[in-house]
Amino acid sequence: MSRDVAVIGAGMIDFGELFEQSIDDMAEAAYLNALADVDHGIEPDEIDAGWFGTIDIAGDASSGLGAAHPTGQFGIPMTRVENACATGSTAFRSAVEAVRGGSADVALVLGAEKMRDSAAGLIEGAALDQVWRGRGVTMPAFFGLRATRHMHEFGTTREQIAKVSVKNHENGSKYPHAHYRFTCTVDEVADSPTVTYPLNLYDCCPVTDGAAATIVASSDVAESYSDDPIWVRGGGLSTDSLLRGDDAALVGFPATEQAAAQAYEQAGIGPDDVDVAEVHDCFTITELVTYEDLGFCAKGEGGELIDEGAVELDGETPVNPSGGLLAKGHPIGATGVAQVNEIYEQLRGEAGEVQVDDPEWGLQHNIGIGRNATGSVSCVNVLSRER
Amino acid sequence: MHEPPHWRDRAQNERLEAQECGDCGYVSFPERREICKRCGARPDWTDVQLQPRGTVQSYVVQNRLPDEFETPLPLGVIDLPQEGDGEPARVYGLFTETDPDEVSVGMTVEADLRELFDVSGLPVHSFKFKRPRGDRL
Repeated sequence: MSRDVAVIGAGMIDFGELFEQSIDDMAEAAYLNALADVDHGIEPDEIDAGWFGTIDIAGDASSGLGAAHPTGQFGIPMTRVENACATGSTAFRSAVEAVRGGSADVALVLGAEKMRDSAAGLIEGAALDQVWRGRGVTMPAFFGLRATRHMHEFGTTREQIAKVSVKNHENGSKYPHAHYRFTCTVDEVADSPTVTYPLNLYDCCPVTDGAAATIVASSDVAESYSDDPIWVRGGGLSTDSLLRGDDAALVGFPATEQAAAQAYEQAGIGPDDVDVAEVHDCFTITELVTYEDLGFCAKGEGGELIDEGAVELDGETPVNPSGGLLAKGHPIGATGVAQVNEIYEQLRGEAGEVQVDDPEWGLQHNIGIGRNATGSVSCVNVLSRER
Repeated sequence: MHEPPHWRDRAQNERLEAQECGDCGYVSFPERREICKRCGARPDWTDVQLQPRGTVQSYVVQNRLPDEFETPLPLGVIDLPQEGDGEPARVYGLFTETDPDEVSVGMTVEADLRELFDVSGLPVHSFKFKRPRGDRL
């Protein structure tokens, strides 16, 4: 008989260009913030196991040791997880599954990435690594290919795509942990320098350092730690490759559809039940196609959904109240963990200026690219106020 | 980076040789596997020859790349048909000798063997795409 699992504590640091902080500095601060967030307090020796999410882009945090050192959590199982841009959410999922299965009562999820120590490697690695798999395909190219095809096939406009950036920067301007706190207009997005046609600078998330930590606990103990635990009701994880020849992969991500289907089934809900979502907006187009892949609208109607305002803070399904990756930043290993924390805060009613109206169900989503820009991996987690 | 990975891939890089799944018809290119990436079966594979002329499914124009690349540089997802019946292969390809403003979804392009880049001075050859000869605007 498996047990229910809840989030009982969440902590992160202000994301940004943190030249003065090492990955250990960031991870330690996020961890201490998560411990301090637990309503009734928690002692470090009450943590049974940990999962550390990082792609180790700066080459200074390999293995579970990358989490043991900054937390002092030696002597317990500590596992490093890498799953492209779904690294943080996969680390969270791994901790949840372990607690559900009974091998831990309380588990730590820690995500961290030192992006600014390695930014040159991102584009160069993607462009040059392997003639066969990479073929000069960078991150904005991988996602931009979906934008070109989406505009061609569904008539999606430059303005509709730009609105994702406008919305997320508006939200990010109200979110204290966000890297960028400025706002922008559709014209400013459309007129910003071209990175990879059809995507401009303000269509792209920044290069950001950050860390986030989450503490999960079994239903046997959760309520002894927390007055208001947030229950993990569903999870999904899937992979796909553009090379499999599915035309759906030209205008979206089948991996997201599959991960979402798994998560919805486990939670016993559908997309209409989601009250707030933190989704992967590494680029504007990524968020727009994700509306469709998660079932918030039909395929091809993402542009209309944002025109209607349904995804705004006061809309039917607010998406990325935190400002998303576009404003908050995308320290890869930390990203998914921070999103889980933001959903936890929303469901507890603690999201401050970006609080949405009385949500019961929240969804967290990542999409990552791997195999040198041919494959995609998606992780979806569904949380609820109700056990 | 080392030379052997590129040496292993020469048949695909330089001769557009692919293989077709006997169960589901999927055309695997450039990878040559025993297990089909689409249907998961371990089928009988048939060698097939891809044609150099294909169709642009989508494209981007990259403006920010390492110094080794000339920019702005169009890049596409191209479907390359095989000789005879059967499905096309879907590949990524950089463009060459192509005005970025001329690229569109649905356009016909031709694969041309070029030096893609070099590894410590040793050239790595593969295909790039351009508008077919005799079809210039």
